[in-house]
Amino acid sequence: MTLPLYAKIDLTTGQCEEYPIPEAYFRRYIGGKALAARLLLDLTPAGLDPFDPRSVVIVNTGPLNGTGAPSSSRFNLSSKNVLTGGIASSNCGGLFGVMLRHAGYEGLIITGKAEKPCRIDVTDGEITIVDAAELWGLDTEKAQEELPKHVGKLVIGPSGEHLVRYAGLASGERMAGRCGVGAVFGSKNLKAVTAYGTRKIPVEHPEKFYKFVKKWVRFLKGHAMTGDALPHYGSAGLVNKANAAHALPTLNFQQGVYDKADEVSGETLAETKLTRNGGCVSCPIRCERRVMVDGREVKGPEYETLGFFGPNIGAHDLDAVIRLNYVCDILGLDTISAASTLAFAMELKQRGIKDFGVTFGDVSNLEEVLGKIAVREGEYSELANGSKWLSQKYGGADYAMHAKGLEMASYEPRRSVGMGLGYATSNRGGCHLNGGYMALLESVGVLSIRPQDSRAKAEWTVFMQNALEAISTGGCCLFSGQTFVPQILFMLGPNHWITRLLGKLAVFTGPVVRLLLAFRPLLRFNTLFLLPHAEALRLATGFPIYTGSFLDLGDRCYTVERIYNLREGLTEKDDALPKRLTHEQQVPGRKDTVVRMDRLLPQYYKTRGWDPHSKPKRRTLKRLGMEELWQP
Amino acid sequence: MSYHITEDCIGCTACSRLCPVFAISGERGKLHTINEKRCVECGVCGRICTKNAVENTAGDRLPKLPRKEWPKPVIQQDGCSACQMCVAACTPGALSLSLPRFRGDLKVFAQLSAPAKCVGCGICAQTCPLRVITMEAPAAEPTKEGAAA
Repeated sequence: MTLPLYAKIDLTTGQCEEYPIPEAYFRRYIGGKALAARLLLDLTPAGLDPFDPRSVVIVNTGPLNGTGAPSSSRFNLSSKNVLTGGIASSNCGGLFGVMLRHAGYEGLIITGKAEKPCRIDVTDGEITIVDAAELWGLDTEKAQEELPKHVGKLVIGPSGEHLVRYAGLASGERMAGRCGVGAVFGSKNLKAVTAYGTRKIPVEHPEKFYKFVKKWVRFLKGHAMTGDALPHYGSAGLVNKANAAHALPTLNFQQGVYDKADEVSGETLAETKLTRNGGCVSCPIRCERRVMVDGREVKGPEYETLGFFGPNIGAHDLDAVIRLNYVCDILGLDTISAASTLAFAMELKQRGIKDFGVTFGDVSNLEEVLGKIAVREGEYSELANGSKWLSQKYGGADYAMHAKGLEMASYEPRRSVGMGLGYATSNRGGCHLNGGYMALLESVGVLSIRPQDSRAKAEWTVFMQNALEAISTGGCCLFSGQTFVPQILFMLGPNHWITRLLGKLAVFTGPVVRLLLAFRPLLRFNTLFLLPHAEALRLATGFPIYTGSFLDLGDRCYTVERIYNLREGLTEKDDALPKRLTHEQQVPGRKDTVVRMDRLLPQYYKTRGWDPHSKPKRRTLKRLGMEELWQP
Repeated sequence: MSYHITEDCIGCTACSRLCPVFAISGERGKLHTINEKRCVECGVCGRICTKNAVENTAGDRLPKLPRKEWPKPVIQQDGCSACQMCVAACTPGALSLSLPRFRGDLKVFAQLSAPAKCVGCGICAQTCPLRVITMEAPAAEPTKEGAAA
C-alpha cells in the first residue's frame, strides 16, 4: 500500500511542503471529497470567510484516478462554500486529476493569497509558483491555449477572477462547476494549476485489478443504461422522461411540465445537432455530446443545462441552449446556478418586484447578460451573488429555488419527493448528485418508486447518498454506478406490470434498507452488479473494502461533511426547501404534489443515526470509527 | 532508473525533439542530459541517435534503428472501449479516436491515425487498461535484442 502524498502550498509566502496523509486517514476516508472534508476540519479554523487569505482549497484525487478503471478521471475540489457557508465540493472529469498523480501528488492543499495573478505548476514532484499576469482576464478556453499542450490544466475564467459566487473551473472542456470554488481560486489570485510528470500510479494488485477492469468495462458496455441510453442520448435523454413524469422544472419551478420540451430533448439533440460522442479520459460510457458552435466542435449541453436554459426560463431554443452552455463554460460559470439565478430574476420581473432586463421566454439577451454577470458589471453584479442573496435583498425566499444557498438541479421535487429530501439534506446544498439522485429511482429512471409517496424515501436517500459519496471518493464518475438498476428491468421496460409492481412494492422496503444499513459489516462480498467500485478500490489499495465497508465509507463522507457544516454554523433549519416545494401544490387541488419535509426529515435523521438537530450521535461516530470528531 | 546519455553526444537535438515525455534537455552542439525522474525508458532516444550515445539502465548502448523499423502500436479494435487513455498519453499526437461511420454509431476505437508522428515509445500500450495495444516491429528482428545478441 502506498500512502497518498499531498502538497501544501502557501501562496502568501510562496512556501511549498510535502503533506503526507496518515494511514488512519487514508483507510477511513480513502480520498476525494471525504478526505478533503476531513483535512479542511483540521486545517481551517471555524467561521473563516471563504475569501479570507487563510482559507484552504483542496484539489485532490482518489486511488482509482489515472489507473484506467472505467470513468476514473474525476478529481475533486473542496473548500468552504461561497454560496452556503458550509462545505463545498466540486467534481470534474478533465485530464488534470490524472496528470496531477503522474506529476507526483495525490492532492494539493492551497492556502494564502498571492500578491499578483499566479499559476501553480507541478512538474515531476516539484512545485513552482509562476507569474500569470498574461493569463489574467482570459476566458477558460484562451487561457488553456496559452499553456503548454501536453500538461494537465485547471483554470478559472473571468467569473472566478471577479468572485462570481457560482464560478467554476475548467480542465480541458470539462467543468468543475458547482459551489463557487472558482471564486475561491480568484480570491487567492490563482488563475491556474498545471501538472505534468511520468510517475507510475500505484496499484496494489495490478494483475487482478486489470483483469477486473476488463470485466467491468464489458459489463458497462453491455448494460442498457451505460452501454445504450447514456451513449445515445447522454444525460440530455432525461428531458423527455422528466417531462413525462411532470418532474421537469418549468418557469422557475412554477410547473413540472412544458409542452415544447421535446424541442430541447436529448432525442432532438441527437437527431439534429450531435456531431459525435465525446467522453472524459478513461471513460467507456462516453456520454458527452459534441456539437458545433461558430463552425467549431465543442462540448454540448447536459440535461441540467437543457432544462434550465430551456423550460425553466420558458424557452425551447436548442441552438440558444447550446450557445449559452458554451458561453458559461468559457466564462467559467456554473450553468445550473447561473440559469437558476436568471430564472429567479425573471420571476422577480414577472411579479413586478425588480427588473434585471431578463424575461421568461426571451433568450435573445442572455449571452450578453451572462457576460456582464461574469465581470460583475453594474447591477448585474447582484445576479452574480446567486438566488439566495437576491431573495434576501428583494424578497421572494419562497420561490428562490435553492437549498442552503446552492441552486437546485433540474428535477422537480414535488414529483420526486426523495429527490426533494436529497436536495434539502445534501451537505453542499441543493445538488442532485450530493443529494442521492433519487430522481433516478422515482421519476426519470426505468423504475419508479411512487414519486409522491414519502414512505421508504428517507431510507433509500441515505442508501443512495452513501453509495454515490463512496463512488466519488475513489475518483469514479457517478454514472458508472447507474448499473445497479438491474438490466432485466430495462428489458421489461418501465410500463411492464413487473416493473410497475416493483415500483409500488418498493415503498414498503424502508425496513429492508434499514436492516441492510444496520448489518453492513455482514456485506463482506463484492459484485459486479452492485457497486463494482468497491472491488476496484480493494484491488487498488489493498484494503479490505467490501460492499458493506464501501457504504460505510460513503456514510463517513456524509458525516464528516455534516460535522464541517455544523461547525460553520449550519443547523437542521438549513436542511430545508423553499416554500414553493413544501407548501404550494404543483397541481392545485392535489394534496400529494408537495414535498412533506415534516415526514421525511425525522425519518432521515433517524436512519442516519443523527439527532433531531442533524448532529451525528456519538454511537454513530463510534460505529464509523471517527469518534475523535465527537463534541458534546 | 533512467537511461543515460554518454560523452559521445554531439548535441544534434534529435533525441530531445523526439522524446515523448520531454525528458531530454541540452543546447545544440552540447552534451544532452536525460531527466532521471521523467525518463520512462522507452528507448526512443537510442533509436534516433547516430552516435549510439545512449545507454540503458544495464549500461548497454542502444543501437540506431532506421525509422521504418521502429515498433508501432497495433490496436485490437474489438477490445477497445474508446476510453482515450492512450490518446491522452500520446504526446506526439499519433493516435486519435475513429469517427463514427453514421449518425448514432457507438463503435469507435483508438487508431494510429498519424503513423508518421509515432515514435514507437510504447506508452500507449502500457497505459491501455484493457491491454489491447501491442507494439509490433515491422521488421522480423525488433530493436535492441538484435544488437545485444
